[in-house]
Amino acid sequence: MIRYLWRRILHAAAILLLISAGSFAFLELAPGDYATAMRLDPGISPATVSAWRTRYGVDRPLPVRYFRWLRSVLRGEFGFSLAYGIPVGSLLWPRIRNTLLLTTLALVASWFVALALGVAAAAGSQRAFGNLIRGGMSLLHAIPDVLIALVLLLLAVRTGSFPVGGMAETARVGDVASHLVLPVVALVLTSLPVLARHVQAALQESLALPFIQAARAHGIPPGRLWFAYVLPTAANPLISLFGYSIGGLLSASLLVEVIMGWPGLGPVLLEAIFSRDIYVVVGATMVSALFLVMGNLVADLMLYAADPRIRWEQYPRIRYRK
Amino acid sequence: MRCRGYMRYRAALLIVLSGAVRLAGEDLLSTTKPPGRYGGNLVVAERSEPKTLNPVMAIDNGSRELLSLMMADLVHINRESQRTEPALARAVDRSPDGRRYIVRLREGLRFSDGYPFDADDVLFSFQVYLDEKIHSPQRDLLMVGGKPLTVSKQDSHTVVFEFAQPYGPEDRLFDSIAILPRHLLLQPYTEGTLTKVWDLNSMPADIAGLGPFRFKQYVPGQRLVLERNPYYWKQDSAGQRLPYLANIIFEYVGSEDAQVLRFASGGADVVSRISARNFDLLSREAHRSRRLVDAGPSLEYNFLFFNLNNLSKKNLPQIEAKQSWFRNVSFRRAVSALIDRQSIAWLVFAGRAVPLATHVTPGNKLWFDSSVVPTARSIESARTLLSSAGFSWNSSHKLIDQSGRPVEFSILTNTGNTERIQMATMIQQDLEQAGIATHMVSLEFRSMLDRITGTFDYEACLLGLASGDVDPGSEMSVWPSDGSTHLWDLTRATADTMWQSEIDRLMASQMRSTKVATRKRLYDRVQQIMATNLPIIPLVSPNVLAGAKAGLRNLRPAILLPYVLWNGEELYWSAQ
Amino acid sequence: MMESKVTAAYGVLATIHLIAFLADFVAPYPFAAQQRDLSFAPPTRIHWTDRSGQFHFRPFIYRSASAASNLAPIHFFVRGYSYKLAGLFTTDRHLFGVESPAVLFVLGSDGFGRDQFSRLAAGSRISLTAGWLAAAISLSLGAILGGLAGFYGGWLDDLVMRLGEISLALPWIYLLLAGRAGLPLDVPAVTSYFILITIVGVLGWARPARLVRGLALSVRERGYVTAARAFGASGSYLLRVHVLPDTISILVTQAALLVPQYILAEVTLSFLGLGIDEPSPSWGNMLAGLQHYNVLVSYWWMLLPALAPAIVSLCCFSIADSLLELRRPVPL
Repeated sequence: MIRYLWRRILHAAAILLLISAGSFAFLELAPGDYATAMRLDPGISPATVSAWRTRYGVDRPLPVRYFRWLRSVLRGEFGFSLAYGIPVGSLLWPRIRNTLLLTTLALVASWFVALALGVAAAAGSQRAFGNLIRGGMSLLHAIPDVLIALVLLLLAVRTGSFPVGGMAETARVGDVASHLVLPVVALVLTSLPVLARHVQAALQESLALPFIQAARAHGIPPGRLWFAYVLPTAANPLISLFGYSIGGLLSASLLVEVIMGWPGLGPVLLEAIFSRDIYVVVGATMVSALFLVMGNLVADLMLYAADPRIRWEQYPRIRYRK
Repeated sequence: MRCRGYMRYRAALLIVLSGAVRLAGEDLLSTTKPPGRYGGNLVVAERSEPKTLNPVMAIDNGSRELLSLMMADLVHINRESQRTEPALARAVDRSPDGRRYIVRLREGLRFSDGYPFDADDVLFSFQVYLDEKIHSPQRDLLMVGGKPLTVSKQDSHTVVFEFAQPYGPEDRLFDSIAILPRHLLLQPYTEGTLTKVWDLNSMPADIAGLGPFRFKQYVPGQRLVLERNPYYWKQDSAGQRLPYLANIIFEYVGSEDAQVLRFASGGADVVSRISARNFDLLSREAHRSRRLVDAGPSLEYNFLFFNLNNLSKKNLPQIEAKQSWFRNVSFRRAVSALIDRQSIAWLVFAGRAVPLATHVTPGNKLWFDSSVVPTARSIESARTLLSSAGFSWNSSHKLIDQSGRPVEFSILTNTGNTERIQMATMIQQDLEQAGIATHMVSLEFRSMLDRITGTFDYEACLLGLASGDVDPGSEMSVWPSDGSTHLWDLTRATADTMWQSEIDRLMASQMRSTKVATRKRLYDRVQQIMATNLPIIPLVSPNVLAGAKAGLRNLRPAILLPYVLWNGEELYWSAQ
Repeated sequence: MMESKVTAAYGVLATIHLIAFLADFVAPYPFAAQQRDLSFAPPTRIHWTDRSGQFHFRPFIYRSASAASNLAPIHFFVRGYSYKLAGLFTTDRHLFGVESPAVLFVLGSDGFGRDQFSRLAAGSRISLTAGWLAAAISLSLGAILGGLAGFYGGWLDDLVMRLGEISLALPWIYLLLAGRAGLPLDVPAVTSYFILITIVGVLGWARPARLVRGLALSVRERGYVTAARAFGASGSYLLRVHVLPDTISILVTQAALLVPQYILAEVTLSFLGLGIDEPSPSWGNMLAGLQHYNVLVSYWWMLLPALAPAIVSLCCFSIADSLLELRRPVPL
């Protein structure tokens, strides 16, 4: 187990390094740099622009910039923002906190709702109810995320019951909570269809298993049936999905944040992408990648804990069987 | 609510203080406006966050707007009259040859941290701005005739500026050159870290200026708060020290639509730079608690231009082949005559834009030549122009040139600017009326700029530029052939046509002349040449549009940046 | 009941694809034609009874609001602009239309006075093609890589799975920006958009690969596969005979989910300014205009194009469900 964990962590580190190199290469592909836009300002001479490029080292070759960046990662700075002139770490950190506040809440809420809907649909004797939920989810899935967020925002303006965008006017908890409602609802609505679909499928699959049928036939009370047999059996595919959810904590909410004006990673990243504030983009990519890799790792560990078969089936397969 | 009560209390305290603190020998500037009321906060919805609070480094509009409230300049352009007036300078004397300016500073002024201000601060500021190692963007503005101006101190409140040659825009040059606090910045300057100070992570105590407000708080991604500077050097006609507002709170909402939403829901007191369509919507939803202001045509000009670069060294044969059309003045005039500017103004800008004849918009009160009128749409005259230039039409009504090649070109523009894309869409349809086939290529902003300023791999481009000032001096990098923003031809440093060399001459001589009437005559001629030769095909100029809650007094949006908060020190809330 | 629903879904999908194929015939106006005096016109009311209460067998519209007698009947198989039907023969017949100067905007008009219905029909061609193209690319890449990874396992499996993780994390938007910016000027808007959607499709290989890999893993552990291997069956034989058939059913299900997803992805691309260029219509860029507050609030009919991807998605999802239902009885 420990050895497996070490191996995975090593893998993760290698992956992150590869992603950072890949990001730098990708960023190099798009034409123009941060200073390009200064060329349109009639008040700024080309000499000033090139002096700026030299100061920030953006005219240096790619490998030089990459190694400089790696060095600054070791210092905990993750490079510096070309636009803001401050270390990327200090720029992104408060925003990452805001994003995590939003997405963690949304993750909990959407899993809660998805499980409740899934159980209700699978347990209900009425097939129509299951179909209704499935239909509703399909409809929701069929609406672009951007549109869901926009329409929610519009409703907020029209009804005046929720604040329109932003995070808080004061530092009070209640105020933050009221600002959270809209973006959380938007995120739940956009992630729910996929989750609910998988939960429902997993539950139906496990309900159809012979031993559950047998348990049911034996008259085991529904509460015990669900919590002791059905849900644990259905956990397997759901855990991987949960891993994906964790992996998406920093990236799933970007557009919703931009539309709803949530002061998270989304707005700053979008601006950085278009203004070629490269170190900010790389920094944000790396943090999201970290979550993605960790999400997968967490999911695998949970699988490992939940399902003994996995130990033989998947990982140490090659080593142990030979 | 409790918070607001606290602010009021604080504001009341400040009034008492400002009365008591008045120092002997303070040379305050008195405005002629009737007195206003102290207190209250102003919440402003802004699109994007400022990038820095360092006046030496700031290039983005957000930072510059903030700094215009936190800092002050020697001479200031009144955004309303578009003329200069003394600010930190009590008086400015110009020598008869126009090369020497003696600036007498107001005495007894203090920075927002209470530290006294004198000529050393001015000397220090200009030393910083002119320092080649720092290479501040302001340095470019302080070059006269290719040489930096020189600054010397006569006494503790008199500074002498010398220009290498007579300078047409005169003391407009001093506008927005923020005077820096030497007592705070001398050390970073000598240590070589000046470019790294005063970022958004800085402590309010480390920043001081001479503007009406001072930095109070920054919450990343959300808001920046400025508070009243109790040492500000202006007073109203009743002798009350300005500014009136206790705080200005900038809320960063991310997009223009979000700005409008925030304003419509009552979460913001002021919005500016809103699109005509959204302005139109807000004015249709009649609301007694808001006031919407259309300040008229801005200094922004949208235009279409063709790639007239010398491409002989670039491997772009296809574009080079099309340049024989683009270089043909009749062709450009025909294109101009085909474009329905009035429809663009109506459909894209909901009627809140004016057709243009040149890059000088009617919003420019001092320099606009009203005798140059925009080309009216006329397909017939376009056809006449085209046939006289040797173009003809084939059996399927497509325009062909003398060698029988169909006239087709692409129009480059940038995504993220809906209005430009809409204009390009309309122009496509307009040009089709004369059998000219165009297709739009919309690229993200920097990809587009890379093509027009770097690789020159484009045929035509639709863009908008905004003059920084009304004075033609601010256009020196655009119209002369060696200008760095001479976008349609960046390859040649000297003129290749008669009219371009005339423009070069005219622009150079208006920069050297200090007689306003002479300069106006020269610049009128530039506008006439522009309108006949069309190096750019001007389209429309959108109006400056803003909105505010009805109780805000003294709000007079102008067409020079910052559009709304330029008189932030005079804004106040009426009693109700 | 379930079956009839699925049949209906197939029927609706087929109809929509047919409309896409015959877009020019269905559309009464060219998609780029601007009627600038009719900017943001609401959908034209279609009547059967006129103001005097008289019933008309042929539906009609009013030419203008004031002149009550000014009826313009809707005709079928009318002459309009000429086009190439199915890319083969030139014709100017259209499914329906009214005699100009009357104008029939079934779904209203946009800011330039362009007929939304004609744009929706023309856009369906681009959007559906894009959806299918991207899904096909993702799935075939995913199937190959995932199948190999799952079947052979070992370092290959590790490599493919880690590559998947990496490709999910990279700032792919830069690849799209670069792809878009690097294209020559004379590439038509539709082609440049398809190139972009191809990149999106390639980038989407990781998730289907994961699924196929999981399936391949479980198949290779099954008794009959082990038996076949014991009998000396080659790797390619096993892949072909035992792994592929199972994979195909999962791929079809995935396709039913991915096609609508890629159609909707186009909305996001348009939102980021990477959509198809004007004046070419697509479902994505027709919806992208809604991000502007004034459009969203003032012109409700601009929301109607959202129905098209929604209907396609609904149909695809119910088909996917029925396919899953078929697969379910396989006990492990």
